[in-house]
Amino acid sequence: MGASVVLGACSNNNNEASPSPSASASTSASAGASASAAPAELTPQTFTFLNYSNPSWPYDANWKIWSYIKEKTGVTLDIQLPAGNLLEDAISLAIAGGDMPDIMWTQEKRLADKFGQQGALVNILDYVDDMPNFKAWMAKYPAETQNMLSSDGKMYEFPNQGLGESNRRTWMYREDVFKKLNLSTPKTWDELYETLKKLKAEYPESYPLTVRNGLRYFEDFAAGFGVSAPVDAQRASAYLDGATGEWKYAPVQPAYKDMLVYFNKFYKEGLIPKDFLTIDTKMWQDIVSTNRAFVTLDYIGRIDFYNSALRKDNPDFSMNFMAPPAGPSGLQKNAFTAVTEEGFMISSKSKKIKDIVKFIDFFYSDEGHELVSWGKEGDTVSGDSFIEKYTDISDLRKKTGLSTDGTYTWFDFNAHISVSSPELKSAYEQAPQFDNAKTSTPPFTPEEQQVLSTKGDSLNSHRDENFAKFIMGTRSFDTWDKFVEEQKKLGYEEILEIYKKSGRARESGREVSNKRNKQ
Amino acid sequence: MALFRLKLNRSKYLLLLFLPALVYYILFKYVPMFGILISFKDYNPFKGIWQSDWVGLRYYSMFFHSPDFPKLLRNTVLLGVYKVVFGFPAPIVLALLLNEVRKGIVKRLVQSISYLPHFISNVVVVSMLFLFLSPTSGLVNHVVEWMGYSSINFMQNENYFRTLYILSEIWQHIGWETIIYLAALSAIDPQLYEAATVDGASRWHQLRHITVPGIMPAIVILFILNIGHVLDIGFEKVLLMLNPSIYSTADVLSTYVFRTGIQAMNYSYGTAIDLFTSVVNLLFILTANWISRKTSETSLW
Repeated sequence: MGASVVLGACSNNNNEASPSPSASASTSASAGASASAAPAELTPQTFTFLNYSNPSWPYDANWKIWSYIKEKTGVTLDIQLPAGNLLEDAISLAIAGGDMPDIMWTQEKRLADKFGQQGALVNILDYVDDMPNFKAWMAKYPAETQNMLSSDGKMYEFPNQGLGESNRRTWMYREDVFKKLNLSTPKTWDELYETLKKLKAEYPESYPLTVRNGLRYFEDFAAGFGVSAPVDAQRASAYLDGATGEWKYAPVQPAYKDMLVYFNKFYKEGLIPKDFLTIDTKMWQDIVSTNRAFVTLDYIGRIDFYNSALRKDNPDFSMNFMAPPAGPSGLQKNAFTAVTEEGFMISSKSKKIKDIVKFIDFFYSDEGHELVSWGKEGDTVSGDSFIEKYTDISDLRKKTGLSTDGTYTWFDFNAHISVSSPELKSAYEQAPQFDNAKTSTPPFTPEEQQVLSTKGDSLNSHRDENFAKFIMGTRSFDTWDKFVEEQKKLGYEEILEIYKKSGRARESGREVSNKRNKQ
Repeated sequence: MALFRLKLNRSKYLLLLFLPALVYYILFKYVPMFGILISFKDYNPFKGIWQSDWVGLRYYSMFFHSPDFPKLLRNTVLLGVYKVVFGFPAPIVLALLLNEVRKGIVKRLVQSISYLPHFISNVVVVSMLFLFLSPTSGLVNHVVEWMGYSSINFMQNENYFRTLYILSEIWQHIGWETIIYLAALSAIDPQLYEAATVDGASRWHQLRHITVPGIMPAIVILFILNIGHVLDIGFEKVLLMLNPSIYSTADVLSTYVFRTGIQAMNYSYGTAIDLFTSVVNLLFILTANWISRKTSETSLW
């Protein structure tokens, strides 16, 4: 580590014609495998960077992470924040205005694909030879790399690994209440129904199963029925069927109906809130914290969020990990949500592209991995634990800036686990065994994207409207076949065909690159 | 020429007062109009408006052939018409009632209280709706249950959406919109009332034959202007109230443009729909103005 600092300090050779890739490769090789060298050729310089500021840990220029990055790479990031915190708008404005920052952060890959194919972003694959660490990383994480490709085979956003784990969602339950009533956690959806009924009988004012965000988490519920697919306004409910390896459309599957039948029963008997479609984060938190919900499904970190906040007044309060109940066919699964699409993009108009890729290459070195996850040895971290005691992840983020937006790409999730409570730690250990197969949306061409967002919108709003009606009982399940017919008329088959086609294209692309790697 | 200069000189202060408005309209209304070009192009922000490829009427036909088009148009027009039918007379009635109030302090108090909701943001108004109307903890439903009925799921029932939207809209803006009528009322010559009293006209007669005709020009002008906004449904309020169970009545053009045009980044498509909305609005306002000119003396132009 010390060696690279020295190298960084006396790096004045950058102005000679751009250093050859082989030269930088040899420096990294000589530094050893465990701590490959920082891009020592970089002189102190500044890149403009359009970043996102998360309201839960708002951007702070004094965070330690920025000085760490500068120390290791010589780079000062001149950070611009999007007006009104609307990153997407800020990026398209910057592109349309022709005055793009050197680097931009995105939360969604579709944005990178769209603007990349329009010519606004650098194709990262053109610069792989300048990025020895990234090259090695891609060989280590082929799936993460492939999933970041655009439909034209290029790559406009840097792939990430590690922090996706914080997006993991899981079932949770009130362990203390279950113990008090002598209930065991439900093993199946039928048991879930019985358990919720018992809870309701004991607490008539409660809605034993409460989740937020309307129909969004039906993606997770559906995993037990083998039909887990996104249910949001922007995406079609297509899923890759494990048995056949084919893309299928979830809402028309009989198993989906089975799940909606359960929810219809839940609704009728008051086991879910009557206004379940409009429960927002605040209402959900109110209901959970006032002992009116005992089973919920959300981001895994919420275990600590509730426990640390509510134990002050109610020392017995215990929210804990619950294994997913098995669906009718015995499937005991959670949707695979441990992914994030956040990452760096580089402006094609930047004059410093060569320097920027070298800068970002640092984030793919073992040293960079260590630095963005744990900070600096002796300053924030000692061995494999943080020096200061942080109450939770957001405390860590707010105090140091570690793992906030725009500071990472390859992340060691053990850093997060180390600040978790014993309950959350054990949840992290148990959760992966229930993971559904990991699938990712295939990349679409701009034409396909347009069909998905216009025709797809009619399909999605019809889907959501009718899910709501089936659950609330305003539409009878006798008309299920008619619903399937309506969805067909709105063109789910065309949408599905797009998924199949792009899925196949990605598969064949994978084979080509595998062959290339073997040669 | 000399005459022109004389006129210019005479009205230079008026023109100076007019200048900010002129600059505003040129900068924020006329210049952006150039952007409607992108509705005929496959807009690529990186290439810019000029360099993007022409696609003719592709986005218009895409919209007219969308299966949601009839539903969106119906919802938008109905909501707009209800807003005019119920929302337009409300401030007139309130203004007339206020005009009859004799105690100045009562009048001023009512006025101030009815103005206040105008300054509450839509986000707050909609969350108030959710809070008061919640079937689990809402005040309204407590009353409903106390009267022996079972609680009503107001916000998740498509039949209540329009009523709730219009009622809350009236509550928000009624006080504010009375201002202009109260101003028109104060301009009526008091001698007319004195003469009428001498002739033995009752208060009702005075209202019918002096007050209402006195503010009629204001009513007609505001009506025509309102007609021009029939399809401009306040987008954020609908969006905030929107949830899947009420799509069939609540999904309107502007929320659709937000989803498919802005969020999904089909800027050309969104612009095409917005231009269509504006054309329809223009037709409405032209028709209203034409009818008004034929039947009364008041019109916009």
